[in-house]
Amino acid sequence: MTSQRSGRPRVVVTGAGTISPLGDRPAAIHQALVAGADGLGEITLFPVDGLPTRRAGEIRFDPKAYLEGNIRPIDRTGQLAIIAAQLALAASGWSREKRAEHEVSLVLGTTFGSVRTIAEFDRRAVEAGPQYAKPFDFANSVINAAAGQTAIWHRLRGVNSTLAGSAAAGLQAIAYAVDLIRSGRADAVLAGGAEELCFESFYGYSRTGRLAADGDCAVPFDARRRGFRLGEGAALLVLEEAGAARRRGATVLAEIRGHAGAFDCSRGRDAGEAAAAIGRTLALALDDAGVDAAEVDAVSLAADGSPTGDRHEAAGVAACFGARAAELAVLAVKGQLGESLGAAGAFQTLALLETMHQGKVPGIAGLAELEDDFPLTRASAESHAADVRRGLVHALGLDGNTCALVLERIP
Amino acid sequence: MPVSNSSRIVITGIGAVTPVGVGRDATWENLLAGRSGISEVESFDTARYNVHRGGEIKGFDPAPHLRRLDPSKVGRASQLAIAAAHEALDDAGFGAGTGRDPARCGVAMGTTSGEPREVERFDDRYLAGELAAVGAEFMDLYPCHVIAGHVASEIGFSGVNTMIPAACAAGNYAVAHAYDVLRAGRADVMLAGGADSFSRITYTGFYRLGAIAPERCQPFDKNRQGMMPGEGAAVLVLERAEDAEARGARIYAEVAGYGLSCDAHHMTAAHPEGDGAARAMLAALAHSGHRPDQISYVSAHGTGTPTNDKLETRAQYRVFGDAARRTPMSSIKSMIGHTMGAASAIESAVCALAVATDRIPPTTNFEEPDPECDLDCVPNAARRIVVRAAMNNAYAFGGNNASVIFQKYT
Repeated sequence: MTSQRSGRPRVVVTGAGTISPLGDRPAAIHQALVAGADGLGEITLFPVDGLPTRRAGEIRFDPKAYLEGNIRPIDRTGQLAIIAAQLALAASGWSREKRAEHEVSLVLGTTFGSVRTIAEFDRRAVEAGPQYAKPFDFANSVINAAAGQTAIWHRLRGVNSTLAGSAAAGLQAIAYAVDLIRSGRADAVLAGGAEELCFESFYGYSRTGRLAADGDCAVPFDARRRGFRLGEGAALLVLEEAGAARRRGATVLAEIRGHAGAFDCSRGRDAGEAAAAIGRTLALALDDAGVDAAEVDAVSLAADGSPTGDRHEAAGVAACFGARAAELAVLAVKGQLGESLGAAGAFQTLALLETMHQGKVPGIAGLAELEDDFPLTRASAESHAADVRRGLVHALGLDGNTCALVLERIP
Repeated sequence: MPVSNSSRIVITGIGAVTPVGVGRDATWENLLAGRSGISEVESFDTARYNVHRGGEIKGFDPAPHLRRLDPSKVGRASQLAIAAAHEALDDAGFGAGTGRDPARCGVAMGTTSGEPREVERFDDRYLAGELAAVGAEFMDLYPCHVIAGHVASEIGFSGVNTMIPAACAAGNYAVAHAYDVLRAGRADVMLAGGADSFSRITYTGFYRLGAIAPERCQPFDKNRQGMMPGEGAAVLVLERAEDAEARGARIYAEVAGYGLSCDAHHMTAAHPEGDGAARAMLAALAHSGHRPDQISYVSAHGTGTPTNDKLETRAQYRVFGDAARRTPMSSIKSMIGHTMGAASAIESAVCALAVATDRIPPTTNFEEPDPECDLDCVPNAARRIVVRAAMNNAYAFGGNNASVIFQKYT
């Protein structure tokens, strides 16, 4: 095993669970990504008449197919988080009995919690009168509701925290969990993100001009791109202190070597500041990991089709890696999964983890034209075989948050 | 940058905007004087409710507080947070800049609802059939992470930026996170706090839970009738002690340790035996190396609901044993109401000030003792005691519990 910064607990990944527009099995999602599958489709959850796009990464799922018990008090964000947690706990061998003996923590990234729950609660009070607002809905109106509901459902009594950082939140949650383990506050943590697709956020983003209209290109890094499409879902990794994982005989999939976060004070309005914040975040993550830029094989990026965001990210990677940016395998999965905001960073991490173990880098479906002087020259629509041992995940919020994580495959 | 992960973390600046004062000094003096910040709700029409009072900050003008951002382009919670952040930085002697690389300066903020007035505006338009009037501002202003982002943009801090929406314990979560960030050497200066604005949504929710008191908030009183929604913000400046000493900064208090836990029991009701609350306190005591009898003052969650105060008392006995009765534990929510995500940030500020000045604020509106809440709640009058260590407890929806311990820096 590679050399480590002395005396610091090591953090490993012992499993993952997810529910996404491309399914609920990490290996199958990866295969679908490699095959160029499109997780986006016509929205059925709410009417979209008169809006610029009808497309999003909506998940059609029956919560009862996953969960035994009374799901009535749980909203869509909560259901997605609880399902991902259930699958992650099962994949990593954290049975109900083991959880009764040992505290498991949860750190969840999200942008809105459920803005649908919040808005419906409010509208009912305004329309019918406050005495008709539903107390159940109020309980779910707090932004940490999904984390609280997941803890109740799965009896997770350790640290319970929710992070909001737009599309960086899911990765911020994983980074926060790493530090909980490093500082000895937890030794087993579910960490990732959850976000639901709903009318309120969809309409809101449609008014920003940031969504790609129907017919517009929404392919990450493509020169023709006009914006992103929304997605939804949840992904949670099980992170454990390496010694504790070994003692319980857990399967170890990867080590999280390091991470970093920063903020672009221009919030995406200044290309130079934005790229500098991203480049700095990547460099700090490598430094925290004790990994040299030359040792990185692949990057799993936040690009979602945003004209400026994708450009800033590519420039930030180039700022950190210099000429080596041209040698990096590039994952950019949001074109096929949608921009799932708080869940996105966790999806990106999961895609990189599967890529490491399957030995195949998914192409960026539909990528046809790169901009002149685009630094990530290995970005391609073609999936290809590669031995990816170390990779960087970079997550970029829509309002200035950046986060990066260094992942190393085990064995 | 080599930083010892055993560094001590201290508070060198405090800013606060609360229902009893725009500013740290006004807030602190009014809390010590036992003044009430509760008044008739004016920010929305309460005619259809059977309660009408709350802890609104009246007459707050954001314009003088926002030096870079346009007040019309940030929501109210962000405005309150920015005002508190500037005051905290000025207080720390960083008014003209920290002298540090801005990339080594970060922000951690907590909230319950983010900027709920923005979604309320959306809802009003939705119900009026005027959705076309919604512009980009809804998504630019509403998602809660913009609070920490707006603070960072306003003051130019480009380091770690974390928004923790851990409901009514969020302020403590933010302080705890900032502590970890500094100990890990990820930043040199951290602003940590919480902010929430008065909101129709929050008010309606607590009204529907039957939790709002009609007139006043009376924590630990036998006849207490509930909590009082409020709003506010507080921000602390945290640094490593060696950095603060090197620049000759005034140190209010040291963050001695913290503990987090989850009830995993019920979304809105605390565990009947105070299990999660007790585990958070025990973790904070263990982390800080304190015994319960070394805690001079406890800032209670103390919402004033019949259940909270009873269960909180029970948890206090469970952890403190005999020392519980000897340890004063007051609730400033009696004066400013429950300021949601700002609450434990304001209470952290109060704990730091208590440690620095050896004064503790009272629980006001206390009239009749409750045998189930028989601890010393510092009834109605502030007290002078030596505050060597203060524990700040916060309990939230979702079963999120957070305890932070502050102590004299010596």
